[in-house]
Amino acid sequence: MAHSVSLNGLSKRFGSHVALNSVSLQIEPGELLTLLGPSGCGKTTLLRAIAGLYQPDAGSIHVNGHDITHRPPYQRDMGMVFQNFAVFPHLSVADNVAYGLKVRGYSDSNIQSRIDEALRKVKLDQLKQRFPSELSGGQKQRVGLARAMVIEPTMLLMDEPLSNLDAKLRIEMRQEIRLLQRELGITTLYVTHDQEEALAVSDRIAVMNSGDIVQLGTPEHIYSDPQHAFVMDFVGGCNWVKGTVDVTVSGICLQTHQNKGISIDGIVSTETARKHAGHEVLLGIRFDAIAFSNVPAANGWRDTTVLLRTYLGSHLQYTVRTQGGIELLFNAPSAIDAVDEGGIASVDFSPSGAYLFDAASGKRLV
Amino acid sequence: MLSKRPTVDVWRWTVLVGLAICLVFVVWPLFELARQSFIGQSSQTFGFENYTTFFSSNYFMRAAYNSLWIASGTTAMTLLMGIPLAYMFSRFEFPGKPFLKILVLLSMMSPPFIGAYAWIMLMGRGGIITQWGLSWGIELHTIYGPTGIIIASTLSLYPIVFWIVGGAMRQLDQSVEEAAGLLGRKPIGVFLTVTLPLLRPAVITSAMLVFLAVLADFGLPNLLGEGERFQVLATLAYNLFLSEIGEEPGMAAVTSVVLVTMAGIVVGFGQWLNRANRVFNDGSQPIGLKKPSKATQLILAGTALGIVITANAPIMVVLASSFLEIRGAVFQPVLTLDNYTKAFAMMGNALTNSLVFAGIALVLATVFGAVFGYVLTRQKYLSSRCLDFLLMVPFIVPGTVLGIGFVQVFNTPPLLLTGTSTIIVIIYLVRRLPYVSRSSASIVHQIDMALEDASSSLGAKPLGTFRRIMLPLMQPGIFAGAVLAWLEIFNELSASIVLYTGATKTLPIAAYQQAMGGDFGVAAAYSGLLIAITSISIGLSMLFADIDPARPHVYKSA
Repeated sequence: MAHSVSLNGLSKRFGSHVALNSVSLQIEPGELLTLLGPSGCGKTTLLRAIAGLYQPDAGSIHVNGHDITHRPPYQRDMGMVFQNFAVFPHLSVADNVAYGLKVRGYSDSNIQSRIDEALRKVKLDQLKQRFPSELSGGQKQRVGLARAMVIEPTMLLMDEPLSNLDAKLRIEMRQEIRLLQRELGITTLYVTHDQEEALAVSDRIAVMNSGDIVQLGTPEHIYSDPQHAFVMDFVGGCNWVKGTVDVTVSGICLQTHQNKGISIDGIVSTETARKHAGHEVLLGIRFDAIAFSNVPAANGWRDTTVLLRTYLGSHLQYTVRTQGGIELLFNAPSAIDAVDEGGIASVDFSPSGAYLFDAASGKRLV
Repeated sequence: MLSKRPTVDVWRWTVLVGLAICLVFVVWPLFELARQSFIGQSSQTFGFENYTTFFSSNYFMRAAYNSLWIASGTTAMTLLMGIPLAYMFSRFEFPGKPFLKILVLLSMMSPPFIGAYAWIMLMGRGGIITQWGLSWGIELHTIYGPTGIIIASTLSLYPIVFWIVGGAMRQLDQSVEEAAGLLGRKPIGVFLTVTLPLLRPAVITSAMLVFLAVLADFGLPNLLGEGERFQVLATLAYNLFLSEIGEEPGMAAVTSVVLVTMAGIVVGFGQWLNRANRVFNDGSQPIGLKKPSKATQLILAGTALGIVITANAPIMVVLASSFLEIRGAVFQPVLTLDNYTKAFAMMGNALTNSLVFAGIALVLATVFGAVFGYVLTRQKYLSSRCLDFLLMVPFIVPGTVLGIGFVQVFNTPPLLLTGTSTIIVIIYLVRRLPYVSRSSASIVHQIDMALEDASSSLGAKPLGTFRRIMLPLMQPGIFAGAVLAWLEIFNELSASIVLYTGATKTLPIAAYQQAMGGDFGVAAAYSGLLIAITSISIGLSMLFADIDPARPHVYKSA
């Protein structure tokens, strides 16, 4: 039932801007794969190339082994959900959903029962006769979703489907999309720039940057095993500390530009460290990995100044400045013994929440 | 949704002034016409005598049929011509587009009777093409009569369809068409099931405007219909009112009432068709221009050029022939400025009158239009709704009809205005004020109300806010409306021809009279002057802003 889609070396340029740089990707039957990245990274271009709305300059697209690279959009059987909904304003909800079925020449009774089923699935069965101008944004997007899936497409293409909705509705809708997609088992490509949304809905995530897929993997994999500085920064985020690798008898050290040695034992192997000794590297430390410490540790900063303390309900967020002038942001539990703004305290970090990257290539060092 | 704003006296007074202007210069003349239509031509008693005469006489009914026929024919032809052209311009890139757009604007803004006159020069009885045919022994069809009127009207009115439908096409959401394609429709199917239905409001609006323009036009049908031979309601009303044989004001009034009723029905029908306007935008991405292959581009440019040049051919012919020597009624292939020398000698005050009257009317229309555009959008009194409606009335009422109404009302005290230049300025003003007020209103709609709230919270009084915040932001809308108003006023014929006297003759009237039966060379020279001033105005205003007649939404009544 579900179809596999493979992309081989897709390239696309717009003038001098490289939107896709020979991208290859295998999308497994029934999975929800997310293209995640900042605007201009090529994710929408890739989705539109699969839809047939852009013709790639090079490369091919195969569905179940059949080459569809040169098929026009209307022969591709792709169900697309648009960022701005793209519901037909002159058609009722039911007629919007019926549009693709009518093209396919289904009988009226068949169409009716399919519309009813699809609208029940997206919880719009009460609004069948409404027109789009009478619907909220969330309802319009449900129409878009029902319209796309009712044709039982080869693949569902979702182009930032939630970005025009408010925050609360986004969370609600993304869960519905996830459940619906699992229930129907339609192979789905989902495009978003929102990392939290990507982590929440995906089977796998392809993080994109400047026309390349930087890392492909499960959400857990992407978050807890970032292979590239860009991935760490974009998914989850972190503090960056610049420095060079220094291997001493006492262990492996990050020599910062502020002439401070920070122990990075357990983050990188001795062998790799030796190989990269003296190289410029980036240490990324997750916001949850830093904490105040009473005993100044080898992997920490002594006597930092608290610049800002933000109360966020479940936790506090601190910004501190080290004596060397590095600013660090981290989360701490809302404890009674919270440090005040202007206060002095030492901090350290847990190696399990820190990753080392080559500064030149951005590649992870292990 | 609108927060209740504190009532501000200054705006209320503005609305009242506007209402007063409309009551005196729109409602009163029309009311007087309606009243006169019920005063029997022979019995001089109040009743339906004139109406009975009208509807039982072939003479009058034929004019009504004729009006409907040329209006329907022209509307159909302009749609056939305007929609494909709009599609080409809004979807494809090809060379020469800006130049072609100026030509389209020019054929829209030149008075239609100049086109008619050019056609007579080409295919009239003594026309160049007709004569050439005769020299080969072939008797060609002349341009006179309904077919000629439809052709000439189409070529001068298709730009209305082009601008309005083109504007709507550019605003269509690209992803809606993409969605239809992905659901399996071929491009032609997408056009028919999605694009065209979404353009429906624009198509209906433009069709309605073309229909109204043909109904109201006086100069073109009078020239090509040769007066009594092929009469339409607008020419009939004029001839009945100012007949040399004997004036029949009662019948002229009935004809006017029938004409206005017809126009009203058309507007009502158009509004009814557009009643459920479900088109909206969801932060849409406008449709980008496709860049077709070089060969296709050349074909597109060639087709567009062919259409636009054909539409502008009459104007070119007039311009060219204004520099030719004329002997008898035949132009000779000899270049000369004699026509212009003669034209200036005969002109009297016509050019000065035109510039002065139109200039004053323009200033007034701009000031009132900007203020009304603001007040009608932001201050929702009952009185402002009335004003909004009254301001739109002159749009429906043909100039000839309003002109006749003016004569009826203002030829006696208390307001004795007939024969003065004031009356011409006033009729210019009330007829074209809606251009500026609509255009200003449409831009006020786009300005965030929070800006005014911010200004008043910072202590600015209502007039201060209007002057410091709103006027600068409204400026593009005011300007666009003012440019269109100027072009229309400067070339105005159908109302002023009823009201002018020797001393208040304007350039369009002078040109029309010469075309109607005077010196062809002088007529060409006058027309040349009109076209030149129109072109210079368009050119100058394009230096300051992008003039897009579709944008001001002047035609869309609320």
